[in-house]
Amino acid sequence: MSSLLTGPIESVAEFLAHALEMEVESAERYRELADNMAVHNNPGVAELFRQLAVEGDAHAAHVERRGAGVALPDIAPWAFKWSSPDGPESLPLDELHYLMSRHQALELALHNEIRGRDFYAELARASKNAEVRALAAEMAEEEGRHVAMLRDWLASEAVPEPSTPDLDPPHSPE
Amino acid sequence: MSTIAQRARVYKSTVRPIWCPGCGHFAVLAAITRALAFLDLPREEVAVVSGIGCSSRLPAYLDSYGFHGLHGRALPLATGLKIARPDLNVLVTGGDGDGFSIGGNHFLHACRRNVDLTYIAMDNRVYGMTKGQASPTTAPDWSKSQLTPHGTGVRRFQPAAIALAAGATFVARGYSGDPKGITRMLVEAIRHPGFAFLHVLSPCVTFRPEQRAWKHEVHPFAAGTGADPVEAASQLQADDGLGLGIFYQQQLPVWPQREKPSGSLAELEREFPV
Repeated sequence: MSSLLTGPIESVAEFLAHALEMEVESAERYRELADNMAVHNNPGVAELFRQLAVEGDAHAAHVERRGAGVALPDIAPWAFKWSSPDGPESLPLDELHYLMSRHQALELALHNEIRGRDFYAELARASKNAEVRALAAEMAEEEGRHVAMLRDWLASEAVPEPSTPDLDPPHSPE
Repeated sequence: MSTIAQRARVYKSTVRPIWCPGCGHFAVLAAITRALAFLDLPREEVAVVSGIGCSSRLPAYLDSYGFHGLHGRALPLATGLKIARPDLNVLVTGGDGDGFSIGGNHFLHACRRNVDLTYIAMDNRVYGMTKGQASPTTAPDWSKSQLTPHGTGVRRFQPAAIALAAGATFVARGYSGDPKGITRMLVEAIRHPGFAFLHVLSPCVTFRPEQRAWKHEVHPFAAGTGADPVEAASQLQADDGLGLGIFYQQQLPVWPQREKPSGSLAELEREFPV
């Protein structure tokens, strides 16, 4: 597996800046996608993304509490040390389709949650700073619980038929 | 304690985008809000002007000044705005049809004037809003539209090479699947004094689903950033249209050049009595 990190994180403030950005971006992304799915008449997936956004907000609030009173460094949007295009927990925008099922959406969410967990776990192994290692390990454990929760959720969702018909296909008039 | 993602929220409006799920334009919208947050630009100092098309809906999704103008006329509108309000950071957004076909002539002249604008052209090589016809950047053999069942047979418009030839002083290409990259280019483009052209490859997942493969095909522009237009043009001619980076950047006088008033208010009043 290729590295999820582009460089080491060696201070608690830098670690918290990464964790907060990651959690806030992920929650924000779910909220945007929920809106988008609602606009495109996919209420089931919209509702699911909204639930995941609420979960994400709770994670972000948890990180904020952990970092209360810490002055965070101002990191440029392109300088965060994850190798993925967006934050490790953010659902990739280009993976979506307006006809996607809740099952497919949950599979994507699970994939991201695993990537988030692995990001923290790699950080817990890679940092030279003991405090960062401890915090990262704690976050990896927390993410592990989310992974388990999503697996249970996924197991309870009906697997869609392989070929769901498009009842409202893109209109090509000519 | 706040991060870029939190500060970027300030720039988002409450209007929900109607773009198709999976559309590349979402990443461009996110990159704009992040670039504005990074630059810490007050919303009232930002204006976003557009023409017509899917990507031209973008100003509605931002909580800054915005103008959703006529088809192909975003650049002249933005030019007028920048001349009247030089204090504003004026961004222009649009697509390949709006910018290179209907607004093609304006594109050339905006480049050569070197007005201090940031032009973000989201290129998906199709007219998406009118349901999938060939645009100026569509390959000549693309035959998926019933209007051009054998392809257009016309060579593609080359936005970056043409911007360079027309006199743009900042020419770059990004890809919506590389949000870090386009955010960085946007920051550089907004900071650049003069006409900054950012060509963004932004897949249309509905009418050009094969563009999802761009994520495996884009590559860094081999030559890097240069200030020599002849060298940059040569490199661009050799590129396959999927090279990403800032190709060319040069500091040249910005139009219009403003001279400080030479007379006092009393002298002006004497010259123009009421």
